[in-house]
Amino acid sequence: MHLKKKAYFFMLDATLALFVLVIGVFLVLSLYVKVPQSAQVDFLSKDIMNFFSDTKIKDLDNRYAGIGGDLWKNGSITDPENTLLQQVGEFYANSQLDTAEKFVQNVSDIVPKQYRYEVWIDNTRIYPRDAPQDHVKSRSNTELLLTSKKLIFGLNNRTASSIWGPYKAEVFAWEK
Amino acid sequence: MNKKGIFFTFIAVVLMGLFIIIYTPPADITLQKDTQSVRARISTLNNLVNDMEYSYFVAVLRATAHKSLSSLILYMNSTGTYLQNFDSAFAEVMVNGTLDGVQIDSMTQKKIMENSTLSNWSSRIIDASRDTFNANASIKIIDVSARQTRPWSIDLILIMNIEVRSNVAMWNMSNVTVFASLPVEGFDDPHYLANTNGLYTNNIKASGLQFNKWNISHVREHVRNGTYVHWQGSQAPSFLMRFTNNMANSSCCGIESLVNPNKISSPDRIESYADYAFWNHTYSSQCPLLYNITNPSTGGGIWDEFRYFKLDIDSVIKYNITSYDLVQTC
Repeated sequence: MHLKKKAYFFMLDATLALFVLVIGVFLVLSLYVKVPQSAQVDFLSKDIMNFFSDTKIKDLDNRYAGIGGDLWKNGSITDPENTLLQQVGEFYANSQLDTAEKFVQNVSDIVPKQYRYEVWIDNTRIYPRDAPQDHVKSRSNTELLLTSKKLIFGLNNRTASSIWGPYKAEVFAWEK
Repeated sequence: MNKKGIFFTFIAVVLMGLFIIIYTPPADITLQKDTQSVRARISTLNNLVNDMEYSYFVAVLRATAHKSLSSLILYMNSTGTYLQNFDSAFAEVMVNGTLDGVQIDSMTQKKIMENSTLSNWSSRIIDASRDTFNANASIKIIDVSARQTRPWSIDLILIMNIEVRSNVAMWNMSNVTVFASLPVEGFDDPHYLANTNGLYTNNIKASGLQFNKWNISHVREHVRNGTYVHWQGSQAPSFLMRFTNNMANSSCCGIESLVNPNKISSPDRIESYADYAFWNHTYSSQCPLLYNITNPSTGGGIWDEFRYFKLDIDSVIKYNITSYDLVQTC
């Protein structure tokens, strides 16, 4: 009778130990499950869009795209009140796609290197216009591609009566 | 002994339960996540509605008004007639691109209002909202008008109803009022066109001279350049009043230029060459009140360049022309 009680005790102990081991293995394995960081990419696409739509040319300190910069001097940029996104839209409306691409490239050094992004206006990819192979491959292989959208429009210049737009502006972002 | 064993087992099970609860990865689909996505969508659509109200229609109102006024001026140029009612003509051209039911572009022979009316721009933003955000928008224009409270700019007012529907929310805004401002500089003066059948065009440009700096030299420049001036308590009509044959004074917004006698068919007229008085023939029967801006005895005045140029006594005082440069006409 005394021995039977001991066996029952050890069996319960062994079962508990096994239970602990199974849970432990499960927990260790669950730490290695890769979950895409949707929040960060989402923030990034929104941040890029907000940066482009909230920053005005007059507020930009940039030798290429700011006031007094290359594009200002050659007359490509005339309105300091334009937001960066409006300026890209204006280049698109005036068929200055190369200038638009270079403009985006010059003003978007805020994007962390581990991410890639694209800027589209009216279903036309503005940046990068001729995407390198690794860029295309990265986009097609990514598990999480997020986009931010906005409608853009503007005056060709402040005194004229011609409006461009409204165009759909999109920023796509994903992790490399 | 047995009681202690049960106690330790109970502790072990509770601890395991806690570990499982703490380290179990959260489910992908939760109510909180749904709420966040709905909130993001509502925020995006709210930005769209705000953009419509505070940016898009401001730009559209300004651009369409510029085109509409240009079209009306061209219409007056081609017909040589004033508008019967500026407010209704302006609203009709702005909304539909027509004047008395006829396409104004066909009357002016210029494609200015084509695809550029308020209706066209409303349709564009409705289409773009649907394509971009899958939102159904409807815009009803109630009224559009122009008025002047300052001499050098036009106040534009657009009243409309905006409704935006999506699968998560709806915006229903009645009597949304949009304001914009448009400078009058750069437009041709309708008075000159209507009175000369388009032969004399005078583009509106402010002289920029302070009221107490005028003298005969500046008057010469003023006539030569066809520039405009606003006097305090002006006797002249405003820019918008010039679309109808309204010669009443506008104390807030009246602007005047001086008619260049070299640009009219009969330069020697018994008129004050201040434009509103000239076209209205205010002094045609009041010769004693006129002065030739020349003085043969002193060699002063501007008849060497603008022969037969005359002004009434009020204008002589305002432009600070002295007896050295004038003689009475009659």
